[in-house]
Amino acid sequence: MGSKHTFDAIVVGGGPSGSAAALTMARAGLKTILIERGQFVGAKNFFGGVMYTHALADVLPEYWERKPPFERPVTEQGYWMLSPDSVVRIMHKSEHYKQEPAEAYTVLRALFDPWLAEQAVAAGALLITKTTVSHILQDAKGRVIGVRTDRPDGEVYAPIVIIAEGVNNLLTQKLGLIKNDLPPRFVALAVKEYISLPPKEIQARFGLSGPSEGAAIDVFGDATLGLPGTAFLYTDRNGLSIGVGMLLEEFVAHKLRPYEVLARFKNHPVIQPYLEGGKPLEYGAHLIPETGYDRMPKLSAAGVMVVGDAAGMVDAVHREGTNLAMTAGKLAGTTAIAAHQANNFSAAFLKQYRQSLEASFVLKDMKQYRRMTDFLDSTPHFMGTYANFLNDAALRYFTAHGMPKRDMEKQIVGLLQERRSFFGMAQDMLKLLRAMRG
Amino acid sequence: MSEQIETPAPRIWVFIEQEEGQPHPVSWELLGAAARLSAELPGSVVEGVLLGHNVAGIAPQAYRYGATRVYLIDDPLLEPYRNLPYGHGVSMLVTKYKPEIFLFGATTLGRDLAGTIATRVHTGLTADCTELTIDPKLKILAATRPTFGGNLMATILCRKHRPQMATVRPRVLSMPEPLPAAEGELLREPLDLNERDIPVRRLRLIPGKEQLNIEYADVIVAGGRGMGGPKGFTLLEELAESLGGVVGASRPVIDAGWLGHEHQVGQTGKTVRPKLYIAAGISGAVQHTVGMSGSNFILAINSDPKAPIFQVANASIVGDLYKVIPELIRQVKGTRNGQ
Amino acid sequence: MHSVVAIKQVPDTSNVRINPETGTLIREGVPTIINPYDIHAVEMAVRIKEQFGGTVTVISMGPPKAMEALIECVEQGADRAILISDRRFGAADTLATSYVLAHTIEALQKEGPVDLLLFGKQAIDGDTGQVGPGVAARLQVPLLSNAVMIESFDPVARKAVIHRKIEQGVEVIETSLPALLTVEKEIATVKRAALSNVINAARYKPELWTGDAPVPFDPEQIGIKGSPTIVGKAFTPTPRGAGAILSVAEKGLRQTVADALAMIVQANVVTFEHHNGGRS
Ligand SMILES: Cc1cc2nc3c(=O)[nH]c(=O)nc-3n(C[C@H](O)[C@H](O)[C@H](O)COP(=O)(O)OP(=O)(O)OC[C@H]3O[C@@H](n4cnc5c(N)ncnc54)[C@H](O)[C@@H]3O)c2cc1C
Ligand SMILES: Cc1cc2nc3c(=O)[nH]c(=O)nc-3n(C[C@H](O)[C@H](O)[C@H](O)COP(=O)(O)OP(=O)(O)OC[C@H]3O[C@@H](n4cnc5c(N)ncnc54)[C@H](O)[C@@H]3O)c2cc1C
Ligand SMILES: Nc1ncnc2c1ncn2[C@@H]1O[C@H](COP(=O)(O)O)[C@@H](O)[C@H]1O
Repeated sequence: MGSKHTFDAIVVGGGPSGSAAALTMARAGLKTILIERGQFVGAKNFFGGVMYTHALADVLPEYWERKPPFERPVTEQGYWMLSPDSVVRIMHKSEHYKQEPAEAYTVLRALFDPWLAEQAVAAGALLITKTTVSHILQDAKGRVIGVRTDRPDGEVYAPIVIIAEGVNNLLTQKLGLIKNDLPPRFVALAVKEYISLPPKEIQARFGLSGPSEGAAIDVFGDATLGLPGTAFLYTDRNGLSIGVGMLLEEFVAHKLRPYEVLARFKNHPVIQPYLEGGKPLEYGAHLIPETGYDRMPKLSAAGVMVVGDAAGMVDAVHREGTNLAMTAGKLAGTTAIAAHQANNFSAAFLKQYRQSLEASFVLKDMKQYRRMTDFLDSTPHFMGTYANFLNDAALRYFTAHGMPKRDMEKQIVGLLQERRSFFGMAQDMLKLLRAMRG
Repeated sequence: MSEQIETPAPRIWVFIEQEEGQPHPVSWELLGAAARLSAELPGSVVEGVLLGHNVAGIAPQAYRYGATRVYLIDDPLLEPYRNLPYGHGVSMLVTKYKPEIFLFGATTLGRDLAGTIATRVHTGLTADCTELTIDPKLKILAATRPTFGGNLMATILCRKHRPQMATVRPRVLSMPEPLPAAEGELLREPLDLNERDIPVRRLRLIPGKEQLNIEYADVIVAGGRGMGGPKGFTLLEELAESLGGVVGASRPVIDAGWLGHEHQVGQTGKTVRPKLYIAAGISGAVQHTVGMSGSNFILAINSDPKAPIFQVANASIVGDLYKVIPELIRQVKGTRNGQ
Repeated sequence: MHSVVAIKQVPDTSNVRINPETGTLIREGVPTIINPYDIHAVEMAVRIKEQFGGTVTVISMGPPKAMEALIECVEQGADRAILISDRRFGAADTLATSYVLAHTIEALQKEGPVDLLLFGKQAIDGDTGQVGPGVAARLQVPLLSNAVMIESFDPVARKAVIHRKIEQGVEVIETSLPALLTVEKEIATVKRAALSNVINAARYKPELWTGDAPVPFDPEQIGIKGSPTIVGKAFTPTPRGAGAILSVAEKGLRQTVADALAMIVQANVVTFEHHNGGRS
């Protein structure tokens, strides 16, 4: 029944990686279909909030003229180390951040994702929503030849399928490109709220001069009860994005409920005044793959490539993901174009995709931070101990009036040793260095 | 000498709805409202419009509820109700007698007819009003109705077109006390229509299974999604029975198929105004409360102390309904047994 | 066979928020949906098409955003979609709306006969249920409101048998065609759209009709000018005001229930003795 729908390429998933792939291929004239399960593209997608423009520019050079729905440029960023009652802030603000377009913007995915998908549609891609891909179709030799959706008569065929399904990579698993579900050690769970606040309030509270300034803050220490993980607080145009993320394993091991951790963070005496009077408009939870370089799936096989979160392409240290996703989408798209030119969709030919990723920042960064998850895993006290230490040290430092400075310094060193042996500290530092160097 | 043009008294009309010779009580509720409007419109008269076959006997009831005159079109073509002959007859009366205000019940029949009449005579119609008054300055009908799912009330005016038409749902207005005896004038008008002019014909009527009329019940025991499933409704039935009432429900209950739609209370269900409304496991969304806030006494049972239903309830029990309802049944039955 | 279905895009009222100070609707960020009854009307039209052939046209008067709703109808199987959109149509009441829709249908009738007109029972934003009856009156076609089933349909003899829900039950009516039905959800359960339809819809661009083209509308009968009713004022309903709160946790089950019953008796709404009857 029904006519057979055939395309040059099928993209599964309308996140940043999928739209970037569809856009790239459609621009080259490939008949491309982008299939998204949400009510609309971006319906269920959310993240912390920072989008890096370098990757966007790479995918869509004229993005600025297309008026992307950015919230605020990030003109100030840094870290807050929370102890139970105080904070040490390390913030960076620079004139450098003020060029336009800026290097990074806060965005809301419910607005950004549809915009990016629209760019793919404008380039000629066909977008269908409310449609879930349930199976990847393979021929007798195991080559991917299309997909089946959850709709009646729901099969679509193409010599290339790009899987951009995000962290819940069921299709990638079904195809056997990755062994099994990620164990809770390698997935973080983030919960987030979007809190609406008048722009004037946001600017006053964060010391911003107007809507053309914004702050992106990562918070450590007490925000996650001292457990490995981070919290974040980003300024949007008319609201704040606030959330916490921890390894799934930590939530389980400490019997923590994600929303309780977030509620606790929101009520922290340092954080609470920033949120005062705001109305929570959205609440959600999402996984972040902490797969790491060494556990990534096979990135391609005959007729198929995997991009973005589905392939674990996240830089956990900088909590970057969308940029890796978009660049991967572009490189997969470029590979698909080459495959069509060569009329060769074999596993061997599509290996080009991995090669181009190796040459780009995507796999270079992934490789560099390959030990980061392990580091945090084996050094669970890292966040809590040092954040508390920094706060106590700051207190001594700023209040030690009338005490010889040498004594004060001794006290501060003593404070740290009380919590962690000197040997342990040295080990932590070494491990951290190794994890950062990759 | 100035030319005295005699302007007839402004007529406030009520459509007297009947089916199979049974008048719909909403007609009397509307006559009550018409009387209140008339008091604010000096010189106005309240009149009824009655169509059907062999229905003249209904007119005296209309007088008792305040109509001073009833316009009657009695014709075999008018039994049972069909849109075309009714639309034809009523718009003819409107054109001839030019009423100022014309009220209909927002019943299936009333809605079907009112929309037709308004278009035929080219005037404004405000549907599903919850309050009818006369604007004190403009001396025209101010019809208030909920919009956007009951989240907002709007007062609608019809300045230039006549009649000013409105429909009101049964039980939104209170039932007036009938006068023991009242006289009125019956004015018959012809229909002037042939069967062959009417392109529809009733083949048969499949009577509704149970004529559950929760609109006119004195006691309603209603359950919501908090009941958790269809089973708990036997408890509600038991309580309803011991109070001489019926069972109502919020929409999710109907959507889930736990009860038939005739039990649904609210914006897309029925408006009720019982003496006692017990809401168990109902959160109290506006779409629900618009349908029951006219009740005399509301008892809400909900485990969530912040449930919005408590904002409209006279008495609120914070607790698990599966503990509270059995206890209610026990105590009610206890009272009954004279303990 | 040509069926025309009128559909409306409405705010999802379960998500409507009201600014309590100003009493105005916060439209920002409120998702829109196809009026729930209307999609069933589309489904019914598509089934008739599947059985008897022909085409299904969906029409909607509304802002440009309503294109989305029309495209959803094409996904559901409609062949043609027309958005009637013009600033001058704004603030129309049901009389003006019924004019615009009736005039559009008349224009379609000039292209060829229209056999069936399907409307939703009511739109959940305005909740009037008047537009369908209004259009039927204007086009002088039989009106069958609250239709729940099409028992038989004969496009050759131009007759149909329709079930409509009335207060006493279900009325079975034979009608000539064309006729206008306003439908309840029972008329047809909405099937999940086939992939082919969804792909067609993604490529489809609804037609845009304005106040002047392709058919001119009478400026006196549209928008505010054509609307006899005006909104005097809008306000949020005043809450009833909360009564006593009785907590089982504080007073225990028996006492709480006894207190509640005492309040009911005091309010004199029901007398329990009344039911004593022959029992005691
Ligand atoms: C709380 C949080 C904070 C973050 N902060 C940042 C940050 O500040 N900066 C940053 O750059 N990154 C951040 N990230 C990471 C970033 O969100 C992801 O890396 C990025 O969204 C990955 O894009 P993607 O296209 O691969 O997947 P997704 O964005 O997850 O998109 C996948 C899409 O596929 C669809 N889909 C899935 N399965 C199917 C199917 N079977 N059929 C059809 N459609 C399907 C989904 O509905 C979804 O739309 C954060 C993530 C989280 C959770
Ligand atoms: C256009 C439109 C029209 C609508 N029309 C109607 C309508 O006509 N009628 C209608 O009712 N709704 C209508 N709704 C739906 C309405 O918005 C609400 O969704 C609905 O009323 C909620 O039903 P509920 O209170 O039963 O369920 P919920 O909102 O889910 O509430 C269940 C409640 O039960 C409580 N509860 C759970 N367990 C227990 C327990 N063991 N003991 C005690 N309490 C418990 C919970 O605390 C909660 O408050 C309409 C919606 C729309 C959009
Ligand atoms: N603007 C509109 N465009 C198309 N159809 C409409 C419009 N308004 C109402 N309708 C139709 O009329 C029905 C009843 O609407 P209403 O009378 O507003 O309750 C709806 O279910 C639609 O089928």
